[in-house]
Amino acid sequence: MTQSQTNLLQGTLDLLILKAVGDVEMHGLGISRRIEHITEGTFQVKPGSLFPALHRMEEAGWLTSFWGESENNRRAKYYRRTKAGERQVHVETKQWNTIAGAMASALKA
Amino acid sequence: MRSFARVIAALRNLLHTRKVETDLDAEIRAYVDAVAAERIAAGMTPEMARRTALADLGGVEPVKQAVRDTRAGTGIATIWQDMRFALRILRKSPGFTAVVVLTLALGIGANTAIFTLVNAVLLQTIPVNHPEDLVVLRWSAHKEPDSTGMSGFGDCTMRRKPGDESGCSMPYPVYRALAERRDLFADVTAFAGTADLNLAGNGQASIARGELVSGTYFGTLGVTAALGRPLGSADEQKGAAAVAVLDYGYWQRMFGGAPGALGRTIRLNNVAFTIVGVANREFTRLTPGKSADVYVPISQAKTLGFRWGAIDDPQAWWVTVVARLKSGIKRPEAEAAANLAFRNATMHGAKPAWKDTDDARLTLAPAQDGLSGFRRALGEPLRLLMAAVGIVLLIACANVAGLLLARSTSRERELAVRFALGASRRRVMQQMLTESILLSLAGAALGIVLAYAGASALAAFASTNGDQAFPIDVTPDLRILLFTMGVALASGVGFGLAPAIRGSRTRSAAEMSRGATESAPATLSASRRRPGLGSALVVLQVALSIVMLTGAGLLLRTLAKLHSVDAGFDTRNVLLVWVNPELAGYDKTHVLGLYENLQQRLSSLPGVMSVSYSSGAVLDGGLWTSSVKIEGQTSKQSVETQMMRVGPRYFETMRLPLLRGRPLGLTDIRNGPPAAVVNQAFVRKFLEGRDPVGLHFGPDDKDAPKWTIVGIAQDSKYASLDDENAPTAYVPLATGGATFALRTSTAPAASIPAVRKTVQDVDDNVPVMQMRTQSESIDRQLFNQRLMARLLGGFAALGLGLACIGLYGLLSYEVARRTREIGVRTALGAKRSDVLGLFLRRGLIVVLLGSAAGIGVAVGVTRLLASLLYGVKALDPLTFFGAAALFALVGLVACLLPASRAMRVDPAEALRCE
Repeated sequence: MTQSQTNLLQGTLDLLILKAVGDVEMHGLGISRRIEHITEGTFQVKPGSLFPALHRMEEAGWLTSFWGESENNRRAKYYRRTKAGERQVHVETKQWNTIAGAMASALKA
Repeated sequence: MRSFARVIAALRNLLHTRKVETDLDAEIRAYVDAVAAERIAAGMTPEMARRTALADLGGVEPVKQAVRDTRAGTGIATIWQDMRFALRILRKSPGFTAVVVLTLALGIGANTAIFTLVNAVLLQTIPVNHPEDLVVLRWSAHKEPDSTGMSGFGDCTMRRKPGDESGCSMPYPVYRALAERRDLFADVTAFAGTADLNLAGNGQASIARGELVSGTYFGTLGVTAALGRPLGSADEQKGAAAVAVLDYGYWQRMFGGAPGALGRTIRLNNVAFTIVGVANREFTRLTPGKSADVYVPISQAKTLGFRWGAIDDPQAWWVTVVARLKSGIKRPEAEAAANLAFRNATMHGAKPAWKDTDDARLTLAPAQDGLSGFRRALGEPLRLLMAAVGIVLLIACANVAGLLLARSTSRERELAVRFALGASRRRVMQQMLTESILLSLAGAALGIVLAYAGASALAAFASTNGDQAFPIDVTPDLRILLFTMGVALASGVGFGLAPAIRGSRTRSAAEMSRGATESAPATLSASRRRPGLGSALVVLQVALSIVMLTGAGLLLRTLAKLHSVDAGFDTRNVLLVWVNPELAGYDKTHVLGLYENLQQRLSSLPGVMSVSYSSGAVLDGGLWTSSVKIEGQTSKQSVETQMMRVGPRYFETMRLPLLRGRPLGLTDIRNGPPAAVVNQAFVRKFLEGRDPVGLHFGPDDKDAPKWTIVGIAQDSKYASLDDENAPTAYVPLATGGATFALRTSTAPAASIPAVRKTVQDVDDNVPVMQMRTQSESIDRQLFNQRLMARLLGGFAALGLGLACIGLYGLLSYEVARRTREIGVRTALGAKRSDVLGLFLRRGLIVVLLGSAAGIGVAVGVTRLLASLLYGVKALDPLTFFGAAALFALVGLVACLLPASRAMRVDPAEALRCE
């Protein structure tokens, strides 16, 4: 694990989590693995960043949580995206596209 | 929307802390389990899988802390947690806590006490409705107005500089002209006073302070009556019945708060007045420091016998005018219009007060600032005291910071454990600051109690010893509480910051390993840096207390100098008694008879050796000067001399030696040719040492009497002890009020009841206005010096004590820390005196550095005291040396105690500790 992989761009973590959770229910490790998967291994989210972000987003009303059984029959805390969370995906996607487009044209120039 | 969700979340987090915490713990453990399960599935041993999973996590606690830090309401929760922890820590060392809280209570309490006085004297608003709309009318010009008389009552500052004169006394007709401007002012009132009134008809005759007010007074101020009615415009009309309104406090004191006082008739200066009301309780004063007992219509001034109170005279300047601005009118526009009206009224009448070139102007000053009263007299000493208590607080803070530093050493292990468990530096600093602030808040709570007691005592001292009795309200108000809170928080951060920063730099590994061996070599280098800051704090304390000691020393020397001044007469065992029979209706022809009678009766009292009387008391602040022309003087100009009217046996009673000629006797006073005694300064200054006996002098007026000089008296002080001996003429007293002087053989205050009874026996309508001994009079004149000397002396002693405790603490800590080193040194052959010298030297270096710095600062600041000093220069070397020497002496004791403990260290014992 190199430094660059862990240094998530400021503000992208929330979007990644919301995207990773999608319309299913996931626990912390599942979300972490899913992010790793959908970013093709570029981002590995450490628990020290993941859990604070999950709790913050839950308090913001983008995620809800409940306790459930995990694959190996253990209690685990699951997260699910809320309606507000879906709206937030749109907002942040738009923002990200603007930034990415702007950066791309800036680098081309 | 989002913020609302966070508020809900914050409430949940705060209210269900335990549930939230266990959930978090379970969630993270489940994560670790899940990671471990993955690795087991990948072929790792279960033990290995768990260990690596935990290691990758970097510890459960830091992750939990990271989550907690992002939570809503986390600030409040951690503060609460820190407070509980701090309380637990402080409870564990009650001795330390008590010392710190007490030190801070003294420091903060001193500040609150002085601030209470500052608040009462300088900041409190006038206790009337909307005081911000009130303005006081003030004139200024190149010269004083042309007038038949100018009286001021201390409501506002009068400036008397040639070319730059100002004041706020006005003629009554000018007030009437301005009061007509209803387009500018909602209401205008004029008042004068307070004046002493002889009040009879409520028990024995007594003196009441009467304020003469226009009928609009209560209406303008918005003051209602607690009982009956306030004065109204009808009461001021010509021919209106004589009525009076009582001050609430006076009604409580003198009438027992009885509703029956209403409608009663009292006699004021022998004129019957009906009490029609009592002003409401909140209205204690208009001008700070001036309180009235009774309010009477201003139109009664003549009836009451006040010659200065000429209502119809457009040239008598005696009323103060306060107006309430009409709503919507700004002060500058009202001022411009009022200025025109004022100039019109004063400069275009039959007898103009000014010429156009005098640049006379009217300004409207906000009443809060304009009515300064005693603010002017007390303002400067209060500002100095505020600075002094600020220094005391600095010393206290430095002291506590030193204690905390020393203590933080013993807490290094605790801090190391907390860092190892994942606490951040910020978090540890925050926790340590919480402790400091908790300490200072506890100090503040105790300090407020001390301050209330202190401020009450100060107010009592001020009101009984000042020039004039004045009430100071020391009830703590919101401003005082906020001030105290602010001071407490500032000092909490002030003394807590250094130890907190130091604590947050603790290195976990090194300190953990320290566990078993308290003074392991590994930590020696770390702790050697520590005394640097600790010593600096003590140097600061020494320096500041040297500054305080110097200031207090200068004032004490001033007092000593003043008390050793030769007044020229014997100031001991003299009782002064003020009477004014004219207030009881005596006319000129009968006054003299009364005085002769009183002199005779008082002389026969036991313990009284001699009695005389004069127009005023000496060394009591009063002064009467007059310009006279002296026969045979070379220059044709008149000269200014101090004057005193005296009765028979004056020089004998005061023990004021006559150098030549004869004193003034009964015949001089009754009907002889006008005779006078002059003093040496008079002869020296005006007559160039020629023999004055037989010469004539008198006012520069053909019809005025010319006195013949019959004797020369020794020089003596007149108004106050710090005056130069000035030319003085003593002439016979024929009329007016008088001050009796009784020369007693025992303590003069003991005669007070007998004197009062005698005066009452002679005529119980004649009130004794006041009685005090000559020494009391002198002390009153020295009020500012005495107040400052006492307080600065007290604060300096406090500072000295604190600084010495700091010095003692520093060395004790040093000795404790270096016990092993001392053991080694002694074992290797160091003599006990070497060990003693080692620590004494260290203490003395701190004292020397502090003294040098303190003297440097003192040189810069003692000149602020200059106006209070007499006979001592602000840079008096003796005082500076004395302050440093005193500190060195007390400091030596503070160093000797721990140093001697070091000397007695038993090497075997010290080394066995390891």
